[in-house]
Amino acid sequence: MDFLIDSFASALLLVLSLDAEMISIVGVSIRVSISSTLIAGLFGVPLGFIIAFSEWRGKPLVITVLNTLLALPTVVIGLFVYAFISRRGIFGPFDLLYTQAAIVLGQVILIIPVVTAFTIAAISRIDERYRKTAMTLGANRIQTAWVVFREARFGIVAAIVAAFGRVISEVGISMMLGGNIKGFTRTMTTAMALEYDKGSFTLAIALGIVLLGLSFGMNLLFHFFQGRSRI
Amino acid sequence: MMVYELTELKKVHGSRTVLSIPCLAIEKSRIYALLGPNGAGKTTLLNILGFLDTPTSGTIQYRSRPVAFFEKTLQALRRRVVVVHQHPILFTTSVFKNIEFGLKIRKISPKNRTRIIEEALDLVGMRDFASARAHLLSGGETQRVALARALALSPEVFLCDEPTASVDAENQAIIINLLKQINAEKKISIIFTTHDRTQAASIAHQTLVLDHGNLVRAGYENTFSAVINQDCRGKYVYTLLPNVSLFAGTREARPTGSRIRVFIDPHNIRLCRKGSKKPGKNSLQGKVRQVMSENGYIRVLIDSGIWITAMISPGEYRQHGFLVNDVVQYTIAAEAIHTTTL
Repeated sequence: MDFLIDSFASALLLVLSLDAEMISIVGVSIRVSISSTLIAGLFGVPLGFIIAFSEWRGKPLVITVLNTLLALPTVVIGLFVYAFISRRGIFGPFDLLYTQAAIVLGQVILIIPVVTAFTIAAISRIDERYRKTAMTLGANRIQTAWVVFREARFGIVAAIVAAFGRVISEVGISMMLGGNIKGFTRTMTTAMALEYDKGSFTLAIALGIVLLGLSFGMNLLFHFFQGRSRI
Repeated sequence: MMVYELTELKKVHGSRTVLSIPCLAIEKSRIYALLGPNGAGKTTLLNILGFLDTPTSGTIQYRSRPVAFFEKTLQALRRRVVVVHQHPILFTTSVFKNIEFGLKIRKISPKNRTRIIEEALDLVGMRDFASARAHLLSGGETQRVALARALALSPEVFLCDEPTASVDAENQAIIINLLKQINAEKKISIIFTTHDRTQAASIAHQTLVLDHGNLVRAGYENTFSAVINQDCRGKYVYTLLPNVSLFAGTREARPTGSRIRVFIDPHNIRLCRKGSKKPGKNSLQGKVRQVMSENGYIRVLIDSGIWITAMISPGEYRQHGFLVNDVVQYTIAAEAIHTTTL
């Protein structure tokens, strides 16, 4: 028990002293996660909007597939992307493996279903009367779609926040595609795994505190936007 | 001039015909009240007239031009008519921006937009709410802002779905006066749905009654469920209550036992004091429960087991001088009775 308390106290000091190594790891994590979230948002939000706003035969099936993909294990994505970007893969010549770009690529695949499915949910929750009101006030299809999008804005932001929360805490993709290279592809989660392997817990716990703090912040944001989306 | 001319209009949902109107013409600059029970097809008709829904079959002429049901055509027509729904929804922004939405779409200049919005808010008495968050308004205020948002667009036709159904008495009076005012001043044609027959009569130039998707000729009052029976002489009667039946004639195409709806035109009911005339076919007795003046007629509400309304001329009323609680005899003319099969 003393060991845990000592480690926790040292970790807290490390966090408060803004340790350079820790800051570098947190920086990589945040940079990679923000990049993948933005790219996934760029594709996922319009995709979710189109699926939610249109009516076609295969729509329920696509939504079921998207919901299934929400539970996609990160190691499966890691393995899948590895097959494409490793030296023997078709994208091998691009030298993507063990770079931040590789992590971003894997994470984008991980969270596109999250952003898309949450966007569909946010749009579907919007009262049908908004669409009819926009139409009777003279809006064309695009203007009507914009009204619906605007009304769903908080739900869509909540989708993006949820996606960020998912990537900042994943370890499989970062480890398999990033390679945990110090100062380059070492993220908070891969660093924690390494420190654990080394039996050195101070940095691991310090990173855990930062990660928990970030996750807590993300959750607060998520619930704030979810709450606003119910207005 | 007619704004709408509907011919053989039908709207079918699955196997259910929700609207069937052989012929209907709506005149310009008049107020129409659309009465009918829930599920009668009022909102469906309003949405079709507002070009938000398309009929399954039939034709519509808008201002003497046939309407083609293509999105582009409908969109252009939607900029000339506006629908305010029963429970209007305001965009989650300010009241000002809610009203500005339709004006922006019509590419009205910002300076003119502000003037029009202020005028529209003045019209509904909501000028002070321009910067208020729209979704925080009360039900009555929301309804008034929704009306202002629609009126700011200066539509040719104003379609309101139960504009006073979910507001308090004070807001009801404001809305009713507003409808009268915009019709009188701006000559906007108004069609509104309601359950309140008295309200319809007090605002509308003409009342239309829908029942099970069909336009019925009689008023909304005097509508009864009945069963077709045969009396001991083999003549057909419509049984409204076990002790209230109407003579239906010697021929009836529908089988005995059929459930029907009976409409009695209140303008075709003759009244006299009890015992002053020999009772004829379809003569019944009842107590006068209410007498009121309405659109140049005297409305007499009679309780005779069924509640029946008779509209008589002031001359006829003066002749008999009925008072509340007087027992009267009334005779329903054969042409006053209309039926539809349920």
